[in-house]
Order: sequence, then C-alpha cells, then structure tokens
Amino acid sequence: MRTQAYLNTRVTALSTRLLDRQQMQTLAQSSLGTLAERFGLDALLEDGVAKAARSRAVEQTLIRALLAELAILIRPMSAPERGLLLTWGSKFALFNLKTLIRGKLYQLDQSEIREHLYDLPAVLRLPNQALFQAENVPELLRVLERSPYSLIARQAREVYEQQRDPFALEAAIDQRYCAELVRRAQQFQGEDALALQQLVGGLLDRLDLLWLLRFRFSYGFSPSEAFYQLVPSPKLLHRERLLQLANLETFDQVLDALPSPLDQTLAGCGNLIEVQRRMGGYLDAEARRVLGSSRSGLARALAYLILRENDLSLLFSLIQGRLLGLPQALIEIGIDLAEPHCPMDTAA
Amino acid sequence: MKHARLLVMTDDLPQASLALAQTESFHPDPRPPEAQALSEAPGRGYRELYQQARSRLDKIARLVELEGPPDLPTLRVVDHAELAATNQELATRWEEASRFEEGFRRIDDAERFIRDQAAALANFADLKIDLGTLRNKTRFLDFYVGIVPRENVSRLEGAVRLADHLLFNYLQRGDSAHVIIVGPRGEQEAQLQSVLASAAFQALPIPQGLDEDADPAHQRERLAQRQAELEQQRQTLTETLADWRHTHQDALLEAQRTLLLAEPFVTLDPSIRSTGHLAVLAGWVPARAVVALQQRLQDSLSLPFQLDCRDPRPDERPLVPSVPVRARLLQPFALLVKQYGIPQYGEVDPTPLFALTFLFMFGSMFGDLGQGAVIALLAWAFRRRLGRFWLFGILAGLSSMLFGLLYGSLFGYEEILPALWKSPIHHPILMLKLALGYGVLFLVTACLLAIYNRLAVKNVAGALFGHHGAINLLFYLALVWGGLNLARGDDFGAAPLALVLATLGALAGYAWRQLQAPVGEKVLVVFIETLETIIGYISNTLSFLRVAAFSLNHAALSIAVLTLANMMGTTGHVITVILGNVFVLVLEGGIVMIQVMRLQYYEGFSRYFSGDGHEFTPLRLRRGVRLTTHGT
Repeated sequence: MRTQAYLNTRVTALSTRLLDRQQMQTLAQSSLGTLAERFGLDALLEDGVAKAARSRAVEQTLIRALLAELAILIRPMSAPERGLLLTWGSKFALFNLKTLIRGKLYQLDQSEIREHLYDLPAVLRLPNQALFQAENVPELLRVLERSPYSLIARQAREVYEQQRDPFALEAAIDQRYCAELVRRAQQFQGEDALALQQLVGGLLDRLDLLWLLRFRFSYGFSPSEAFYQLVPSPKLLHRERLLQLANLETFDQVLDALPSPLDQTLAGCGNLIEVQRRMGGYLDAEARRVLGSSRSGLARALAYLILRENDLSLLFSLIQGRLLGLPQALIEIGIDLAEPHCPMDTAA
Repeated sequence: MKHARLLVMTDDLPQASLALAQTESFHPDPRPPEAQALSEAPGRGYRELYQQARSRLDKIARLVELEGPPDLPTLRVVDHAELAATNQELATRWEEASRFEEGFRRIDDAERFIRDQAAALANFADLKIDLGTLRNKTRFLDFYVGIVPRENVSRLEGAVRLADHLLFNYLQRGDSAHVIIVGPRGEQEAQLQSVLASAAFQALPIPQGLDEDADPAHQRERLAQRQAELEQQRQTLTETLADWRHTHQDALLEAQRTLLLAEPFVTLDPSIRSTGHLAVLAGWVPARAVVALQQRLQDSLSLPFQLDCRDPRPDERPLVPSVPVRARLLQPFALLVKQYGIPQYGEVDPTPLFALTFLFMFGSMFGDLGQGAVIALLAWAFRRRLGRFWLFGILAGLSSMLFGLLYGSLFGYEEILPALWKSPIHHPILMLKLALGYGVLFLVTACLLAIYNRLAVKNVAGALFGHHGAINLLFYLALVWGGLNLARGDDFGAAPLALVLATLGALAGYAWRQLQAPVGEKVLVVFIETLETIIGYISNTLSFLRVAAFSLNHAALSIAVLTLANMMGTTGHVITVILGNVFVLVLEGGIVMIQVMRLQYYEGFSRYFSGDGHEFTPLRLRRGVRLTTHGT
C-alpha cells in the first residue's frame, strides 16, 4: 500500500515533465541552442561534428533520459511489476539486437555497427557482447542459438542460407517482444490487470492494425502471411477479430470492419500515414486516461513512460528537422502540429 | 600504503607496465589526473587490439581446451606491430576453428532431427493408415508433416486456417510441437510455404520405402543406422580437429604468451593519461615496496622517468586498498571475514582475532575428542573439494578435540576419558559464569578496537562519544562493576552508579547536540537512544551465555543418545551411538557454527569493523600454468 502511494506520487511528480500541445508549439519555434539548453543536449552544439553524429548523440541522450526515469520508477516495485516495465524498455535492447544481426548479415564493419548501437543501462543490456564479437555469419548464428533468442536463430539461418531479406527475422523479434509484453501484463490481478489490459491492449491494437494494413496492402502479403506476423491484443483486436480482418480484401473494408471506438477514430482515413497518426492519438488518449484516473501505480508508470517516449520522439523529430534544415511547415507535420496534406497541397 | 605517480615517456609505457607487473606491488588508481593537459589515452588502440585477439583465443580455447597461461621464459615488451600480427594469426586460426564448430553444429542438428523423426514414427506406429501417402501429395490434398517451435503453433494454426488448411498438433517434445497440416491443393500452397518458413516449420520426411515396409522395427533400424553414420562423422571431425590442434599448438602457445605479456599494459590502460610524449600513471604501493619498485623501474626503463610517492590524503582514505592477510593458516578465516566486508585502509584487520575467538568458541561449545577428530578427518579426506576451507575444518576439529580432552568427552561418553579440567554438565553454574566473563572481555576488546579504528582516521569525537566509543566503554565497565557488586550480594555501589549516570549523561548530551530536530522529537530520540544503550549492553553480554548453554546442550544431547543406546542390545547400542553421533555432528555442529558466526558478526564486527574497504589487487603477470593439448 505504501509502495503504491510512493509510486503514484513519483509518477505524478514525473508527469509534470510531459509536454502539452501549447508547450510543443513553443518548442517548435525555438532555436537549436534553446532546445539544447532546456533538455541538456550538449552534443547538439558541438562544433566540427557531422550532423549524423550529432543526431545520434541527441537520440542517445534522449533515450538515456527516458531509461533513467524508468530506473527511478522500477526502484520501489516488486519483481513482476519491474519485469513488466523492463520488458517494455527492452525494445531498445532489441533495436541493438536487430542492428547487430543486420550488420553481421550484410558484413558491415565492426566500428560501423558499434556506432549504431544504443548505450543502455546494465539492467536492459542484452548479452550481445558475444554476438558483437562473432566474426562471420555462421558464428553469429551459433551464438544466437545459444542465447535466449534461440528460436529466431532458425529464421536467421534461413535468411542467411537462402539469401532472403531479414524482414522475417526482425518481424519475429518484434512478435516475441509484443507477446512477452502481453504475457507479463496478464500476470496481474484486480486494479492493475484492468488498467494494464486497457493500456497494453491499446498498444497492441495500434501495432496490430498498422502491421496488418502494411503487410496486406503495402507489401501484398496473403491473409495467412499477414495474420502470422500479428500478436492478438487483450483489448479490441483479439485473435478471432484479427483472423476476420486479415481475410478482408481492401483497405476500406478493414477500416469499416473495425470494432468501436476504432471505427469512429479512423472514419474517413485514406492512407496508412493518417491511420498511424490517428492510432497514435488513440494510444495517447488511452495512456492519458490511465495516467489521470487509474489507481494502479504500475499502470500509471507504464502510461507515463509511453507518453514520455512519444514526447521525446517528437522532440527528436523536431531536432532532426532543424539539423537537416527542413522547412518549418514540414517539421510541424513531423511533430503532429499540422495536418500532413497541407504543405504538399501548397507545394503542388 | 603510498600513492605513487609515475611519469614516463609514452614509448616506455609497455616496458613500465611490465616492470610494475613484475614487482606485484602496484595497484592501479584509475582516477583521472588533476592536470587537465593529461587527457589522451595512449593505450586505447593497443587495448582494442588486445581485446579482439583475446576474444579469438578464448573462442579457440573453448573448442580445443587450452588450459591456463603458459610459462614465460623471458619477459619482453610486446609492441603494437607484434600484437597486431598475433591478432591476425589468431583471426586465421579462428576462421579455421569456426568451420569445425559449424561442422559439429550440423551433426548436432542432424541428430536432433533423427530423434524427432523417431518420435514421430513411434507415434504413427499405432495408426492404421498408409504412411506412404503422407509423403506424396495426392491429386486433391496437400500434406505437411513436421515440427515447429511450440510457441508458434497457435499463430500458425490461425494462419493455415486462412489458407483453408487444418493443423493437427499430435505430439509435443520439449520446445517443439509435431504437427500435420492438411488442406486442398491449389493456389494457397505458395502462401503457405512462406508462412511455414516464418514459423520455422521443419518438415519431417517420411522415409522412403515406408509404404512397402511399415514394420516399426525396420524403421528404427534405419534411423539407428543413420545415427551411427553421424557418430562416425563426429569421430572423423574430432580427429581432424585434433590434427589441426597438433599442427597449430606451438603457434597458439606463442599467441598465449604474447597476450600474457601484453596484458599488464592493457590492465593499466584506464589508469594512464598522456600528452604528447609524456604519460602519467598512478596507483597504490605498499610503503615497504617503494624502494624495490624504484629499483626495478631504474633497471628496466631506458628513457628517463620520475616516480613520486606520498602518503594518502584524508579524503583519499576510502580509495586506498588494504593488503589482505597472507598467513596460510588464516586464509579460510579471511574468506569468512570477507563475507562481511573488507577492512578499510587503516582499520585493524579482524582476521587474526576472528580466527582465535572463532576456534575458542567453537571448541568450547562443541568439545568432544571423538567428534572433533571426525570433523578434522573429514576435512582432510575432502581437502580437494573443500579448497582453502579444508584447513578451517582441520582447525575447528582440533579445537573441538582439545576441549574434548578438557571436558573428558569422547563420542558423548564421559566415563572413558578423565577430564583434564571439568565436565560442563557437572558444573553448569561455573560454565555460565565463565561465558559471561568471556562475553565481557569480548565486548571490551571490540570497543577498544572501535576506538582505535576511529582514532586511526582522526575521528576523535567518534572515538569518544560515538557508538562503542570511550564513553560507552566507560559506561559498560561501570555497569559490569556494579553487576559484580550485586552478584557478590552487595549494593550496586555509589561509585559505579555515579559513573553510569555520568557517562549516560555525557552520551545523552552529545546526542542532543548532534540532533537537528524540534525539542519534543529530540527528547524522545535521546531518551530512546539512552535506553537502548543500557539494554543493548546488558543483552549483548547475556548473549554470550549461549557459549556455555551449547557446551551443556552438547553434553545433554550425548546423554540422551547414550540413554537410548543403553536401552538396546549390543548391536542396537552400537548402531544408536553411531547414528546419535552423526545426528549430533550434523545438527548440533551446524547450529554451533551458525551461533559462533552470529556472535562474531553481530557482537563483534558490527562494533568495530566497517567492512567497506577494498582489497589490494596488484598488477601481475599470470604465469606458471602450462598449455595442455586437447584430448591428452
């Protein structure tokens, strides 16, 4: 009980760091110097460093800030609670794993691979030192087979031996991540379970719908292939619903067949970018609702992290836009302050 | 301990590292130097090269069992070029070795596959169907028989359903599920192939000839034959690997030597900073070793250098390493002390006192000549397994034997041996008095050590007024004085009472001044702390009664065993005495050990031992272990 009170107070204190639309609009008008000062991004102002290197350093700093908050939040938690949040945070370690595998499969230079790896805290770090030290692809696959990711090693071997694109492999890593998140969320009971079902369910609904639309209508996957890549959500897009949606033939049919409230949320959407934007809003609203009204400290902590990650990701988009010298209108689309079609239409 | 700062020319760094490693008296200090100009890390490239070479050698060692570092006949500097050449040599060797590893993996895979096939066929054996049909697709039906990771089954089932197929999961083995997928032939087939690949589906081919010869015994024979072929392949590969190892044995040995010689410079790397041709490295050196170190550097370095040594500053004290006790007899006790912590630099190392008091208390609580001999003999018999702890067992056994002689106890019998002193069970009050006296002595010693340790770090206030400081000790002695008066039947005594009140007043006054809180809270805290001091010292002294209690308990348990034994015939008597002694040895021996550790850690260490230091681990060369060849 005391832990819950402490955790809830911690989350409430941290949530003052979240950015609202007004603050984002102010930031969108700020210079790189102001952004660097406000968010402690010293790397942004380093002279004589390539833009790509500065961008990577900024991304690394923002991720470090997010993970430092994760570390603060898990401190008073029990082992299962901690496990859930660490599973959520393991996505960054999985980025590293994908980078390593892709880098080795395409025989990139060690230093080039290293440059693209995130420096993560020990609690989230994968045992990828052995993967990193692998000197050829068969060795990498053997190391992978001895790791907790032994199940994806077979896919990796197939990618290597049949010269296929590593898409299936990376999809398998994402799938395992989502399935583990759902499994951990389902361990809880009572107040926690209900709030987590909404939150993790919202997360999965968003991912499943985007993956489904992308696989079926952008990549031209068959219903079977598309369904296989999805992880049933504990909320709206459960297994039977996904089977039904995957079997539909057009983009509009899928949107029309969505359950409420997704059907209203996505009414009139004509393309995947718009779906992505609105589903982002859907998850954002769900997370804000949990953060504002749930009594579960755990669910509120996860909601905070989801919102904070989104904020930092928008901030990174803003900084990248500035570094690349993109027009202000385009940057504002990138950080969800303007509708996507406006500048394109104007340009046309 | 002295803080050493060595200024050398950058070119001389590898030689300086080697010289420092030879002296085995330099503990690196990785703190960055105060001079801002010294910001370069000259050994970074060397270290990366070393780490890559080391990783390659370690990977080869996993395959061909290199045992430890080899002898180093001569000490020489390994320069960057030599290290790079070794790294290149190891790269080539590892590329070759990696192919062997891949070969073994393929054989493992094939064997696993045969096991799965055997399991599948055993499962099909009871079915009244023509298995040959499962191998060939029919005009209308499509069959897939195989295994998938268990966690993929549910999604695969849904995916094949969308392609108008059905999935039957007929067997689960470990993480794998055996499945049959059936559906109509047609355009869905291509889709399914892609899904099956994503699900890591592995087809289990139904062996040729199954339709003509469905006898399970014949099928098992075929699989066994295939298994034997794989065994043969493994044998051949092992022999080829042995030849490869034999061919490259000298090169690998030489690579090991090179890496050993390069290791000191790499270990020192985080402690080295440089600017231009000048490099500085810092560390801790025992005061007695400074002259030898200076001499070694003079003999080894060709270019000028400067070694400055100074005493540690007070703010550096927590960083100074402490040298562990070296005496062989004390090693097992040092391991137990280390479980609690490592003495801070300047603190008294409690190991000798710990060893002495431990043996005294264990022996007095578990005094029996026979049982002590059993403990000592067991420790001797299992000395290889016990590592450094075997000596601990021997000493504990000997202590138990010594007290057994004093008590006149042999495997619980008190009539066989004449007691050199007294039997505890016949003098319980005397034993309790002695235990109390021992407790007082133990606590006074602990307080004196606490005072010394604080004075050693110039914490005078702590030594006087802190927990278990001089005022506490004075209070305790006054309490003991008064207690003795009461025990003699007199009053507590005016002088001890005055001393008790004065010391308690001093402690309360000190606590009052130290506290930053409202008056009410201060009153409460000071009152509780003062009360705790009184209760604490009394209860801590009484805690030592367990030393006597366990010596009585030991004798009482033995009496119980012998009483039971006397109720039986000769055979029963012998069996009961043996089993009873085993019971006493295991159960009581274990409890006594725990109780002694508790007294040491709680009543002793918590008073005077901070345990937050760190151990002196000097730079040294690993050598003296030879390379052994695989399979020999």
